[in-house]
Amino acid sequence: MFDFLIQGFGVALTPLNLGLAFLGALLGTLFGALPGIGPINGIAILMPLAYTLGLPAESALILLAGVYTGAEYGGRMSSILLNVPGDAGAVMTTLDGHPLAKKGLAGPALGLSAVSSFVGATIAIIGLTLFAPLLAEVAVMFGPAEFFALMVFAFASMSVMMGKDPIKTAIGAVLGVMVAMVGVDSGTGVLRYTFGMAELYDGIDFVVMIIGLFAISEILLMLEHANRSDADEGMPPLGRVMVSVKELLFCKWAMLRSALIGFIVGVLPGTGASVAGAVAYTTEKRLSDKDNTFGTGDMRGLAAPEAANNAAAAGSFVPMLTLGIPGSGTTAVLLGALMLYNITPGPMMFTERPEVAGGLIASLYIGNIVLLALNLPLAGVFARVLTIPRWVLVPGIAILAFVGVYQLHSDLTAIYLMLIIGIVGYLLRKLGFSLAPVILGYVLGGLMEDNLRRALSISGGDLGILWQSGISLGLWIAAALLLTLPWLLPRLLSGKATDKA
Amino acid sequence: MKLAADRVLGIALIGLAAFAAIFALKLQIPFSYEPVGPKAFPLGLSILLAALSLVLVLRPGPSGSWPNKALSLKLLAVLGVLLIYALLFTRLGFLITTCFTVLALSRLFDAPWLKALLAAVLMTAGSFLLFTQGLDIVLPWGYWMPVLG
Repeated sequence: MFDFLIQGFGVALTPLNLGLAFLGALLGTLFGALPGIGPINGIAILMPLAYTLGLPAESALILLAGVYTGAEYGGRMSSILLNVPGDAGAVMTTLDGHPLAKKGLAGPALGLSAVSSFVGATIAIIGLTLFAPLLAEVAVMFGPAEFFALMVFAFASMSVMMGKDPIKTAIGAVLGVMVAMVGVDSGTGVLRYTFGMAELYDGIDFVVMIIGLFAISEILLMLEHANRSDADEGMPPLGRVMVSVKELLFCKWAMLRSALIGFIVGVLPGTGASVAGAVAYTTEKRLSDKDNTFGTGDMRGLAAPEAANNAAAAGSFVPMLTLGIPGSGTTAVLLGALMLYNITPGPMMFTERPEVAGGLIASLYIGNIVLLALNLPLAGVFARVLTIPRWVLVPGIAILAFVGVYQLHSDLTAIYLMLIIGIVGYLLRKLGFSLAPVILGYVLGGLMEDNLRRALSISGGDLGILWQSGISLGLWIAAALLLTLPWLLPRLLSGKATDKA
Repeated sequence: MKLAADRVLGIALIGLAAFAAIFALKLQIPFSYEPVGPKAFPLGLSILLAALSLVLVLRPGPSGSWPNKALSLKLLAVLGVLLIYALLFTRLGFLITTCFTVLALSRLFDAPWLKALLAAVLMTAGSFLLFTQGLDIVLPWGYWMPVLG
């Protein structure tokens, strides 16, 4: 049963892949630590470069997955030291992390978060190893109708769990799916939304889409942050660098519980590290905050979200590898990267391309150890990345974005398109949209339409096929429950309350 | 009705949905072996988008904070720099355009002249070496190169 893992370690332990896992971890930590550049931006900027290097699929994936997990480590730096979350997953880290830094415990806080991240990620990777092959075996039974229902479920769970505004999350996802419609229709050869531009026949390129949406819009947002006066209160001193064993043991239950929560939330399609961090923090606060110390620099309040967001990062690989449905915005980007290599992740990947699936999982084990080894002693060095001024950072992002898009086809249309998408991305972010649903919709949109049409071709146009099997019916019901419960529950509860009164 | 950012957005999105729907309806399909065809899915999406946008128009959220005039000008300037970078990228080549773009962006992000000049030269040279030597990417030299030599 674990043949894929043995084969995977064979792949991951070759010098090239070992080096790439190390490089990915290092770059990821740096990208995560840089203000404003989270895991998605890091991967968006690096992906075209990894593609030009001519790396085989498994090596490119190992590099990018290293960046992903590394960025989750790096995101805590600015959370703890500056009270500015480096990315959405690190928001909860600020609550107890920054007060700790203010108490002069910045060093131990960084160490503790590195260890919590390691514990969280390790538990989730073990979960991934055990759980993914099982799920893949179930997923083999999925036909087009089941996949369509699964994607509906993924969008439903995303709308409910992600972001403050479910309507805006849903609109973002629909917009993403609509972007995926551009290009030649694979079923009939009809041109859709190409407006006579030959460059659009193949659809809007994945790299153009994510670099525009994330990197360019980030440049514009950074300009606003640079002009705000409330930031920049200066970095507190690190203090002693190591976290003590006693402090670690004090947090052990918080870590273990949060790791489990993070893994489960991560596995749910459409929800990611930010949700996991929030759920774990509030759970831990409820369970163990006896003296109201959470929020004032309680170590457990730091360990919980850190363990959870790293566990969620690893957990979100489960649906991506077994079902081809990404568990988070970042895994959606990784899924797109795999599609560039003509690999469609799904239940068959464990049997047909075990070197990709196994190699990735094995490299997560290795990368996780590398990250702990890098982050414990080098926290001080990484922290200095935070002091890189924006006037160096922004031109750097601009150069990487332009060259990354230009080298795709040596073509300027792609660059103009990237700029337009960037402006749209900026406006959406200003309007309170989260971009992860957009990218998830864009990646899944084509698949969703294909599966719907394939299902209806099989049934000869009878819609009944969509909910005929037990699996698809269950998924439809789950999706409907998810969408209605948050609206229904408070009403039912308050209805009871008024009955009493 | 009060003017809110969400309202404007909602109306714009309904316009987008209508446009997408009309485009889908106008598609000419020469032949089709399947019952659904390329029209249905985009049409369904347009209806969904219009419905969701209608909720935004009827129940808009807070408008958030939008940049003031000075900042808007700066944002436009950054976009202008990026657009000029794109326009001249192949015409003048990577080295010249990158150098001026870095200089302009650094200045827009409040770097003093000397530091901005230093960043422009160093980052252009560094990225050029990284891309050509390290990653084997062919960068544009610009059309004036053959003329000069």
